[in-house]
Amino acid sequence: MLYRVINADELPALIDAFMEDYEVIAPVARGRSFAFEPIESFDDIVLDYPTTLTSLKKYYLPARETLFEFNTGGSGEGIEAYELTVKPRVLFGAHACDVNAMNNLNLVFDDARYPDPYYEAHRKATMIVGISCSPTSTCFCHLLESDEVRSGYDLFLTDIGGRYFVSIGSVEAANILEAACDPREATDEDRGAFRKVTRARQAAFDEDIPHIQEIPMLMDAFHSDAFWDELGGRCLSCTACSSVCPTCYCFDIVDVLDPSGKTGRRDRVWDACTSPQFALVTGGHNFRDSARERVRHRMYHKLNGFNSQHGRYLCVGCGRCVRACKADISPIEVLRFFEEKGADDAE
Amino acid sequence: MAKSANIPRVVLVGLASCFGCQINITNVEKHLMEVLGQIDMRYWQLTSSDPMPERMDVAVIEGAVTTQEAKDTVERLRERADVVVTIGACANTAGIPGLALRGYDGRQQEVYGSHVPSLVEDDAIAPQAVHGVIEVDYEVACCPIDALDFVRTLQSALYGSNAYRRTSTLCGECKRNERGCFFGRETLCLGLVTRSGCGAKCPNLGRPCNGCAGLSPDANVESARKAAERSNIDVAAFDGALEIFNMTGLGEQRV
Repeated sequence: MLYRVINADELPALIDAFMEDYEVIAPVARGRSFAFEPIESFDDIVLDYPTTLTSLKKYYLPARETLFEFNTGGSGEGIEAYELTVKPRVLFGAHACDVNAMNNLNLVFDDARYPDPYYEAHRKATMIVGISCSPTSTCFCHLLESDEVRSGYDLFLTDIGGRYFVSIGSVEAANILEAACDPREATDEDRGAFRKVTRARQAAFDEDIPHIQEIPMLMDAFHSDAFWDELGGRCLSCTACSSVCPTCYCFDIVDVLDPSGKTGRRDRVWDACTSPQFALVTGGHNFRDSARERVRHRMYHKLNGFNSQHGRYLCVGCGRCVRACKADISPIEVLRFFEEKGADDAE
Repeated sequence: MAKSANIPRVVLVGLASCFGCQINITNVEKHLMEVLGQIDMRYWQLTSSDPMPERMDVAVIEGAVTTQEAKDTVERLRERADVVVTIGACANTAGIPGLALRGYDGRQQEVYGSHVPSLVEDDAIAPQAVHGVIEVDYEVACCPIDALDFVRTLQSALYGSNAYRRTSTLCGECKRNERGCFFGRETLCLGLVTRSGCGAKCPNLGRPCNGCAGLSPDANVESARKAAERSNIDVAAFDGALEIFNMTGLGEQRV
């Protein structure tokens, strides 16, 4: 990995350089919160945003995406060839958890057995520029091995006070950086500052969120615990959790007819395992017909199931669901439950 | 759905309502003719005085059942139609007419004293959603309905569909619009218990949900009350707001 240092006042020039050839999407203020949106200028960007309401997932797997169009009548009958073109773009300002989240989605959609040309088109058109962050009260990425990011970005900027420590992940981005800024070799002083901000960040996580070892094993051990009745009993079945989640990738496919009844399109739309009909199958059986089972399933996939398949947590600890769930259901509650169980056993 | 090569026969009946849903259907002028071109509109109270036909493929019902006559009408429609579609809050949850449910017994005497007109005494019944009287095949939610949602539902009835209507509540759709939560501003919103499907249009325009799509069959009202309490929202106000469109639905939930 290559590292360079740029001055903070060089950042507008970097954004301007990206904007010449790419659509730049970055965190902007939205109401009382923040959202990733296309920007007009560097000044739109809120560099020190705490978190965004929803994630970058929408740029890879839109909430609704047309897969193809069809015509059921007349001479044009049939399926119309449909090719997705995505404008080349830069996702600027992604936090480490969100870059890790995209890496997780890539693991799912980059499966040669099930090629997904739509996801691939989005991915190929996208550069990611990450940026360092300070933990909020709902952040727990450090407990799920997602507070650092080792790949999946084109550039990653760490604020080391008046200048940025830049990790370079792609040649394309390195060339743009080189042309727009005056990147220099890191000095001992820069490296010292980098270590200092990294340590300060590690110390800034909320210590009330329990650090639990062997989470996947505990998930299996307490699969039938009454805790899940309690958690499921609170669930509002609203699916806000999966809407804001950067790693919920389930979808449904629906055909939408135009009012003419002759033409239409096949759309892919977000689905959620916390939706009551998610596991309903033909014949009327619902494999998870209670909120207890649905909430438990979601937590298992995030903290156990994905691990056995891909060797890492699906949940990246971004904390968005912690804020979005009005019933206070989140992985943090699961960690607290394990902590209580541990305390019980110690008695 | 259609009988052999026949064009599907459709009727549209209005019961206790403001007729706003029917008006909303006429408001999609751009598509109205192409929709009418797919059906044989045999009866439409709002636009024609032709009598109700003996048989039909699809019966569309707007409004709540508040009279014996209306009850007889929907029962007759169920017998005569293969598919029954209800449109709008009044038909789906008894909506605004449903507000009369509280203190219904004795209301006639309260209003008319000892001389209740026979028309009222003989015909008025406690307000009900259409599905409280007959089996309903499709519902088009909200007050008023989204006319294009109606068109899609009608097409589902005519041609079939692979889209399944969800019972998840509204917040998931609201988050897809990237909207913050009214609860965070200590503002009452009924999205937590209201069935999704409308796309969270009102919150997206900065207005809290007032529950016109109806309580979801999977609504967790108790948990939502606790969430309101945690957000400094008066639980009695939450319950009161919920009654506006869900008087009968709350009754069904309690059963």
